[in-house]
Amino acid sequence: MLTTQWLYALSGCLLLALGLRSALLHPALLQRILAINVMGSGVFMLLIAIAYRGPGMPPDPIPHALVLTGIVVAVSATALALALARRLTREQPHD
Amino acid sequence: MNATMLLIFDALLLASIIGLAWAALASADARRSVILFIAFGLLLAVAWGRLLAPDVALAEAAIGAGLTGALLLAALQWQPRKTADTTNSEQPTHTLLETGFRWLVTLLCAALAGMLAWSLTQIDAGTAKDALANAVAANIDASGVSNPVTAVLLNFRAYDTLLELAVLLTAVLGIFALGPAQAGYRIAGPVFSSLTRWLTPLLILTAGYLLWVGAHAPGGAFQAGATLAAAGVVLRLAGRDQIGLPRGNALRIALGAGVGMFLLVGLALFALGRPFLGYPPAWAGALILLIETAAMLAIAATLVSAFIGGQPTEEKTRC
Amino acid sequence: MTDALIALVALPLTAALLALLLPRIATALVIFSGLAITASAIALLYGVNTAGALHYELGGWTAGLGIALRADGLSAILLLMIALVMFAASVYASAYFGKASERAQFWPLWLLLWTALNALLLSGDLFNLYVTLELLGLSAVALAALSGKHAAVQAALRYLLVGLLGSMLFLVGVALLYAGYATLDLATLTQVVKPGPIAWSALTLMTFGLLLKTALFPLHFWLPPAHGSAPAPVSAVLSALVVKAAFYLVLRLWLDVFADIVTPTAANLLGVLGAGAVLWGSWQALRAERLKLLAAYSTVAQLGYLFLFFPLLLALPPGPARDVATGGLVMLALTHGFAKAGLFLAIGIVQQRSGHDNIQELGGMVQRLPLTTFAIALAGVALIGLPPSGTFLGKWQLISAAIATGQWLWVAVTAIGSLLAAAYIFRILGHAFGNQPYPHQAVAVAREEWPALLLTLTATLVLGLAGAHVWTLLENGS
Repeated sequence: MLTTQWLYALSGCLLLALGLRSALLHPALLQRILAINVMGSGVFMLLIAIAYRGPGMPPDPIPHALVLTGIVVAVSATALALALARRLTREQPHD
Repeated sequence: MNATMLLIFDALLLASIIGLAWAALASADARRSVILFIAFGLLLAVAWGRLLAPDVALAEAAIGAGLTGALLLAALQWQPRKTADTTNSEQPTHTLLETGFRWLVTLLCAALAGMLAWSLTQIDAGTAKDALANAVAANIDASGVSNPVTAVLLNFRAYDTLLELAVLLTAVLGIFALGPAQAGYRIAGPVFSSLTRWLTPLLILTAGYLLWVGAHAPGGAFQAGATLAAAGVVLRLAGRDQIGLPRGNALRIALGAGVGMFLLVGLALFALGRPFLGYPPAWAGALILLIETAAMLAIAATLVSAFIGGQPTEEKTRC
Repeated sequence: MTDALIALVALPLTAALLALLLPRIATALVIFSGLAITASAIALLYGVNTAGALHYELGGWTAGLGIALRADGLSAILLLMIALVMFAASVYASAYFGKASERAQFWPLWLLLWTALNALLLSGDLFNLYVTLELLGLSAVALAALSGKHAAVQAALRYLLVGLLGSMLFLVGVALLYAGYATLDLATLTQVVKPGPIAWSALTLMTFGLLLKTALFPLHFWLPPAHGSAPAPVSAVLSALVVKAAFYLVLRLWLDVFADIVTPTAANLLGVLGAGAVLWGSWQALRAERLKLLAAYSTVAQLGYLFLFFPLLLALPPGPARDVATGGLVMLALTHGFAKAGLFLAIGIVQQRSGHDNIQELGGMVQRLPLTTFAIALAGVALIGLPPSGTFLGKWQLISAAIATGQWLWVAVTAIGSLLAAAYIFRILGHAFGNQPYPHQAVAVAREEWPALLLTLTATLVLGLAGAHVWTLLENGS
């Protein structure tokens, strides 16, 4: 793998670990949802790094398509999670 | 740009990205976390552009940072601002057992990253990494489009896209089942109002352009749909009643249009003896554009409905 | 015959759209498409039985560039189970949801869930599996939260977050495999994957993600609240089918794709976790105060039995002995699917009549709801593992294989688990068959009772008596 690929792939792994840690440990729901999104971004970075072939060379389009699909799936899941959370707060008024 | 400068750029970019992610997740203040997360998303889009993934960069900016950001900002209205157990200090106090558990989880996550990194070093350099990329390049002329990502999404792996549109539909139906839409916003002041008068047609035009150009340049249904949704979001934020979202049965048709068009084309081809979603090369370009148009409408309707938080109501409540 | 592969995905998805657009005829649509899907599943089973494993390349592109659908004996049998259980639960749901507005929200999501289940079982592509897992997860969550009550929404939110975590880990595995082998096609991967860090890491990540989704002890914490608060037909399908889909993927990965990579140690780990599930789940079921919680914990326990098979299957050499044991595993999975679905549907009837499902207050239920009580009793027989239920055949295979490979621990676990199951089932039946007057009005609705009864009858009688066919089908279909 190229140096650039390594750099981004490792950063992707780091984002994944960061996201996972917060998803498990953060007390607030919103940040846990953000954490899962960060995890997703980490995996996407890993995929796009794998697809990169170097400056001026056409990259592998399949991981790009996978990441695009993943982004849409992630926003769907986030939207549903936020709607569920909003429904919960409607039951209990908060200050 | 020579290699060293690129390397420095990459290092700075990645440091910023990771730093923003860390700051967003470490914060106990929801508003700060969301804003940092949106910035994180925008820098990710820059990274995707850097890695020669312009389609993904557009999608990340429009959907990942833009619409997700809008959803999160709207969610802040009913979220508690700070975590319940922080009083004066930034860090909540933990018992010894809790601290031990937190360290254990941190260690395990670090181990996960390490295991992944190590596995990547062990990739066998001999296996043909470009097998699928070459297959795409070999078949792209028969796919009806010249943008390889669009070819993969709408032709070679169209079934994935069909199911992904079903995922979008499922999410919005789930949101609808949870209750009516959130209250609208109050009518915007003169500055924002005049901005929306310029912005909305521009967004709609850009969406149409992205849809059309996606066949031979970065773009496509998802980016177009998100841009169109942005127009709806802007109108909503400006306090308008009419945000372009259809009502009642027309809304349901719009939401199901993506999946519906895919099934229509796929089953029609199947009935005509071709494989399911196997476009004849002469018609492929036109069929892909047809499906993408329907998908764009569906994506836009879905994302706007998700933003307003439920099925559009007739009341004109303001907040 | 390959048409059935397309039909199984296209039918429920089309029906979902039509149900969304035409809510007034939605119920009829569901019943009609349910019959069509069941017919397709039977056609697929017949096709697999005669021609062996089937595959279909979508779009006409070779698998690798495009996505392939695949079906063999295992997936065909499970698809038929899914079709029958979903159809029965659909009939039940048409009566369970009294208001038209409830049904209008329910049917599209229900059909999308069915699409996800079928698409998952037929998928032959790694990334496509991820997308189907997400579709399955989101539709299941949306259905679980449908009642809108606080407990249900909270449980659904937790289910969603756990599910997303699982899918994300699965996706990391997929990315790793693509990095290592440049393919997403399962059949191609099976041939090129070699033992090494990539394969181990990918398998570990994907398995962990799937174990979260299949609620294997100790990752089961999300299941009892989610299954316990969902509407009855949803609970039935969540316990019987949705968790099974994730289990099916673990099975497929461990026995098929990564067959050369898995080690006996890893399989033993799964077995130990399965044992924990059996014991802990059965114990919690015994202590449960509510019928639905009891059934949910029972699911945790029964899934544990399925994982007990892993160390046994790996200890047996590939060949007739392993195939017989695999058949036992499938038999257990099938029987649990039918029995648990029937149980949840019957509990739903009880809950609707009396407004609650507390076990202590079931007294005399048999007088007013005889068919429902009988269905619960039959489900109980199938869950304990008494003959002639399919569970008996499955557990028999489990114990035989354990004795043959000298792994006596699993025999002990199975015995204790079955005793605990007997205890909690008889606890319910003791109350239900009591002499106290049943305090609630109980007018039975045929559309609700008969699906529950038929499902449990299948589990207890049909599967047990026709069990030999399962083994034949598995063999012919490979």
